Amino acid sequence: MSITKDTLQKHLTDPAVFCCRRAKGTVIGADDLEDPTLFDDMVDAGLLTLSDDGLTIEEVLGSTLLQDVEALTPITKDVLDKVNAKSVPAEAPAEPVKASPAAPAAPTAAPSGTIHLKIDKLEGLSLDIPAGTILGAAGPLPAGPTEKTGEKKVIRKLIKKHIKITDVEISDKTAIEDGKIFIDGSIVEKAVKEDPLCVSMSLDVIYPDKRHVYTDTIMDVAPIATKVEGELGEGVTKVADGVVFMLTGVDEDGVQIHEFGSSEGFLDEKMYFGHPGCADEGDIIIRCHAVIKRLTGMTRPGPFAAHKCEDYIIQAVRNELKKYDGEVVREEVCEDLRRKGNPRVVLVKEIMGQGAMHDNVLCPNEPCSVMGGQKNVDLGNVPIVLTPNQVRDGSIHALTCIGPATKEMTRHYIREPLVEGLANDDELDLIGVVFVGSPQVNDEKLWVSDRLGSLLESLDIDGCIITTEGFGNNHIDFIQHIGQAGKRGIPVVGVSFCAYQGQLVVGNPYADAMVEENMDHGGFENDVAGCSCVTKEVAARAIQMLKNKMAGVPIAAAPKKWDNAVINANNKLLGLPETVLLDKGTLH
Amino acid sequence: MNLTTVEGMRSEIFVPVTPKPVFTELKKPLSECKVAFITAGGIHKKDQTPFNTSGDFSYRVIPFDTPSSNLMVTHGGFDNSDINKDVNAMFPIDRLHELVAEGFIGSLPEETYTFMGGGGNVEKFRNETGPEIAKKLKAQGVDIVLCTGGCGTCHRSATIVTRCCEAEGMSCCVIAALPPIARQQGAPRITAPHVPIGSNAGEPNNIPMQTAILKESLEWVRDCPSYNGLKVLPYEYRHNV
Repeated sequence: MSITKDTLQKHLTDPAVFCCRRAKGTVIGADDLEDPTLFDDMVDAGLLTLSDDGLTIEEVLGSTLLQDVEALTPITKDVLDKVNAKSVPAEAPAEPVKASPAAPAAPTAAPSGTIHLKIDKLEGLSLDIPAGTILGAAGPLPAGPTEKTGEKKVIRKLIKKHIKITDVEISDKTAIEDGKIFIDGSIVEKAVKEDPLCVSMSLDVIYPDKRHVYTDTIMDVAPIATKVEGELGEGVTKVADGVVFMLTGVDEDGVQIHEFGSSEGFLDEKMYFGHPGCADEGDIIIRCHAVIKRLTGMTRPGPFAAHKCEDYIIQAVRNELKKYDGEVVREEVCEDLRRKGNPRVVLVKEIMGQGAMHDNVLCPNEPCSVMGGQKNVDLGNVPIVLTPNQVRDGSIHALTCIGPATKEMTRHYIREPLVEGLANDDELDLIGVVFVGSPQVNDEKLWVSDRLGSLLESLDIDGCIITTEGFGNNHIDFIQHIGQAGKRGIPVVGVSFCAYQGQLVVGNPYADAMVEENMDHGGFENDVAGCSCVTKEVAARAIQMLKNKMAGVPIAAAPKKWDNAVINANNKLLGLPETVLLDKGTLH
Repeated sequence: MNLTTVEGMRSEIFVPVTPKPVFTELKKPLSECKVAFITAGGIHKKDQTPFNTSGDFSYRVIPFDTPSSNLMVTHGGFDNSDINKDVNAMFPIDRLHELVAEGFIGSLPEETYTFMGGGGNVEKFRNETGPEIAKKLKAQGVDIVLCTGGCGTCHRSATIVTRCCEAEGMSCCVIAALPPIARQQGAPRITAPHVPIGSNAGEPNNIPMQTAILKESLEWVRDCPSYNGLKVLPYEYRHNV
């Protein structure tokens, strides 16, 4: 099978192999060459053996064959009259370029002929012709009305006040005084009454320098945040700084509440401190440990009971935080806004929706809480649009399933790097964040994806980024979602953990700009909570790929196998730090 | 619009293509066939070491005379409650004995092999676990292999092992809750009942549905015209989690 000129252009530096027998005297062109994308399969099938002496396509084009050569033979210099020079790959990172490719090209030549104007009866004509306009003359015409693009129009503002917390004590009262949180130890008795499936609960405090302590599996990390003015996404929110809640859990038989691997062990080794979903290096951790009824760990109600009871305790602290006027270490201003004229983009976050822990609470009453929210599984996993501010104000409480490394915990969403990155990018117009659940039935996955497709179309967007947490069955919908955008001509970038263990199980041609989240040495889902998730670097690469795609700047095809060097080459181009892989010796 | 662009970026994730065909035509009537059933759904005997739920390429030996009440599931990729109710929802061992008694199939081998395919190590399953299971089944004179997977990567592992069995000269079918994965990964034959992951072989305790899914999958092994053929089965079950 020969290749087209298009394919040829994409594979200039790939090996040149004859597709069919070619006779002496042939001048080599696209018609003579085999498609390099088939080489892996051909090598696997024993049809082709690539040679180290083989030349690349760009080296052989236009050369004349000096002897007859059989099909599927790599082309070497001894059979050619000449070898072209190799193109030199750009060494230095290319300077980012501003491109405005979407503007239609102005015609360079004016239409020929004359302009005919016939007025039979004329009275009181007043014509204002802009200076410089020469009717019918040669010269560039303006592409359209020149309007200011990207002008910022603020829809609503949210202020997050980060309140300094320096200590936590489990005591006999619940209060915040002088930067210290006190939690009444007996509150756990009331908390467990919130759900009959929760058998017991306990609280303790882990200081940053004393993290080498045993922990049961980390179910979630949640900040303490509360509204003091307005609804979620607007007004004022207080966030406790320097402290987080961590939920751990087992069932009555001591079985860890987890799905795809658990993270029990020494805490200092089991969390990727500093990643968006995790505790930061200096955070005090309030550990809330739940014991739930026997055999309920892998069902929907069991893990939810643990989250609900923990939230009862966090709410008590939230109520104190509302009243507490402590030192504000940071004031974060978040804006929902339009930048009209900029490319309209959305972020689509595929979240888990298969039941058990594969579920999330959306839009609760308080930031990151449970009360008042709706679960995406109960909503049929259909796409839901939130404003960037709503996401940044804790509209998602994650019930956090899948493996420890790839799950996005509650804290992740309140400071999601892609939401921050897209919202703050003044070249884009982030019009919303779409949450779509991943159902457990194949038909439902496709059904939900169809709904997302219609939504994307009706939002009239110029581009989108689609992410998923975890890997495996959710990659079906993930790829389907990418297809929904792709087939509508919407530039799309996919973001996921794939690497070795999570390599895609399905694919389509639109998944050609993909960003890898993996940070495990072997490319596995390891047992370190929050290791392989959306980070600032992942977000920066995804946003840049989207801009490239929207502007028509090519993104080279991925190699056949996961290779962290590809990720680091992209990092280098963008001036980002290297992605250093964590070697936990995971090898399932 | 003004967009900052950067030349030279490369996509970081490979998007797969379906592997080369493998297909063994069935040359006997079903009533004379020895039928094995393997599963990637994490089924094992209660007295065996549970699987590592974050990835495990080992397998367990299950004698076919094991009572279904002695079997359990260890799998982290889906809601286990259906299998907890009835192991036949993933591994229909009771239904298989009934099919032999009925004369629909000839016999069952002495033992079969189960694994937990979630997060499965592709190379290990392709080069070690798969060929080993295939050889052991072939040595018992098995003609047909049916297979279920659980979660997404489970379907991948299930398909890899099934392909090994097909390559060893047995006619195989993956009963898939996630047919796109079985297709993409190159299952020789696929049947697809409308079921959630976790009850791939039919609703728990619904004997007529489980039997029908098994029978029609066996018939598809006989009738499927060519490699990677998919037949959607008209059985629907929704697990209200």
